[in-house]
Amino acid sequence: MVNELRELLRDASSAPPQAPGDLPAVLRSGRRRVRLRRAGVVGAGALTAGVVALASVAWVDPAPEDLEAAGIPRPAGPTVRLAESRPAVEGTDYRDVTTYANEDLDADNGQYVDGVTDDGLLLFRDGPRSDQLFPRFALLDPATGEKDWLPRPDVGQAQLWAVELSEDRLVLVSPDDGLVTDGPSAGLTAHVFDRADRRWRSLAWPELRRASEPWGAEVGPDGRLYVPVPATRGKVPEGGWPTGPGGEADDADAEGDTFDLWSASLTDAGDVRDERLRVGAFDFDGDSLVWTDSSNGAAGRVHVRDLDTGEETSFDPRLGERCNLLGFDVAGDRIAMSQYCGTYGDGVRDDRVQVVTTDGEQVVTVQDDGVDGGRLVAGGDFLTLTAYGRASGGTYVYDIGGGRLLRLSEAHSSWAVGQGPAPGDLFLWNEPAGRVSEVFGRSGARAHVSEILR
Amino acid sequence: MRDEAAFVEFAASARERLRRTAYLMCGDWDRASDFVQEGLVRVYVRWPRLVRNGGELAYARKAVVSAYLDHARRRSSTERPTEPDPALASAEDVATAVVDRQTLMAALAGLPPRQRACVVLRYFEDLSVAETAALLRCTEGTVKSQTSRALFSLRSVLEDSPSGEQAEGAVSW
Repeated sequence: MVNELRELLRDASSAPPQAPGDLPAVLRSGRRRVRLRRAGVVGAGALTAGVVALASVAWVDPAPEDLEAAGIPRPAGPTVRLAESRPAVEGTDYRDVTTYANEDLDADNGQYVDGVTDDGLLLFRDGPRSDQLFPRFALLDPATGEKDWLPRPDVGQAQLWAVELSEDRLVLVSPDDGLVTDGPSAGLTAHVFDRADRRWRSLAWPELRRASEPWGAEVGPDGRLYVPVPATRGKVPEGGWPTGPGGEADDADAEGDTFDLWSASLTDAGDVRDERLRVGAFDFDGDSLVWTDSSNGAAGRVHVRDLDTGEETSFDPRLGERCNLLGFDVAGDRIAMSQYCGTYGDGVRDDRVQVVTTDGEQVVTVQDDGVDGGRLVAGGDFLTLTAYGRASGGTYVYDIGGGRLLRLSEAHSSWAVGQGPAPGDLFLWNEPAGRVSEVFGRSGARAHVSEILR
Repeated sequence: MRDEAAFVEFAASARERLRRTAYLMCGDWDRASDFVQEGLVRVYVRWPRLVRNGGELAYARKAVVSAYLDHARRRSSTERPTEPDPALASAEDVATAVVDRQTLMAALAGLPPRQRACVVLRYFEDLSVAETAALLRCTEGTVKSQTSRALFSLRSVLEDSPSGEQAEGAVSW
């Protein structure tokens, strides 16, 4: 009878009347809700302003966009365009330490590489997926392929992000799991695995309930977890955002959001405190704390505090007039700032990944239509970034010392695999894999763990 | 990164399947479209995070079911339908018609919303008990008991119909 019921259910729903063409309405409602949420709770690393229009513009025309013809202003310092890149050569510019492919993520979730520990083991995650409802983790030796399965953490089906993968412990953070119900936030949760004791411990802090998103949380040099808690929100202009050429709201030149910086012990759940510092985006670089006045809009000034001496300096990073700061990464006395700076002409975006030193010197800005995700790797000597245009899409590496822009791939996977911290000269990236998929371009993705060859 | 083109492709491709699921739960194609639309809006809002881990379809299904259950909760406290729904089979239909669409939809319509969701998710979406529990945010035991009650009710309706004899080798409910 169960089989009969299955047939009946399929039969009863097999002849639907024509669906109304409601996707435009979905998009309108979705954009409106995103804007409302943006004015609500947005973590520093989950910066959304200005990125809404990217794909619908960049995917239409496979030719590289002409930024000059569109009247896009040039950034303050040295500038590089994606068209100036050359293909990276494996074995010369980089080497793959290992790769891992999920051929069909369209059918189900799979296995993921969530980072590399300081002693060179991959944090391998299996699930959550239909045959593995709750994720399990292993430390995988890339030399032998051997997996050391860890005790299962009590994390439900939460999405997890690695924020520290040291020889002593693994620290993952997860958001509240309000999911569809948009229910009350359970707050930010940290899951700490002690590698010596082989035990997981989960910590949550009532004081950090408003910081319900894990994005932007960082482990500081003192081993504490630093969390941005929303403080002020940039205002939406009277009458809403102006509409760009494609009918999209263009929120370039937005007011920034600010956050109160809190920190929490990862060993004592009762030890949590307000650091009495209001920030926009922030990151640590050795014993320095680097932050901006605001983010997800205007950046304001960049501040650098020596945590040993308390000495503090600040400078104007000279973002463009209309630039929204969307991403922030600091390493090796350099700062990478991903920005959206407006849409021009027939829909050409001014996207930038700007690198400055912690002294305020302009290093380079990669400027193009559809580029973001700037991340400093190899101790800040190299910059990885992602491009989304059809002609220029893929993963790139910029050699800051050598002034070379290298293109690792010609496409970036729609599936977010191969993301997480990596020590030394290692870095993670991905490319599409599997069969052609109508929805996602390719049904799967291949994660690469690669090493920069200097 | 909000990849709107990818979202549009996903929504266009998943919409019909989601609409069928919603229809089986609510029994009305127009309302099913509304639930799917609300579900897809929720997917849009969460899209960057979904793409990060490849859980788009599962989340979309969850969003649609949630939209339906939210509506059912509101409806149960604010609306009292007084007229019979002409799209549903009458008692006479059930007694005389073979097991067909209307009979099934009438039987489903007689179930409480969560029981209906359990049946649709278990036997149309082919989700396991654990997956259904995860989606409905309840225990596996609740899914089993809700499904069991739903099947008991459905069996009493469907087996009363002329074509309701148990098929040879069919799995017992």
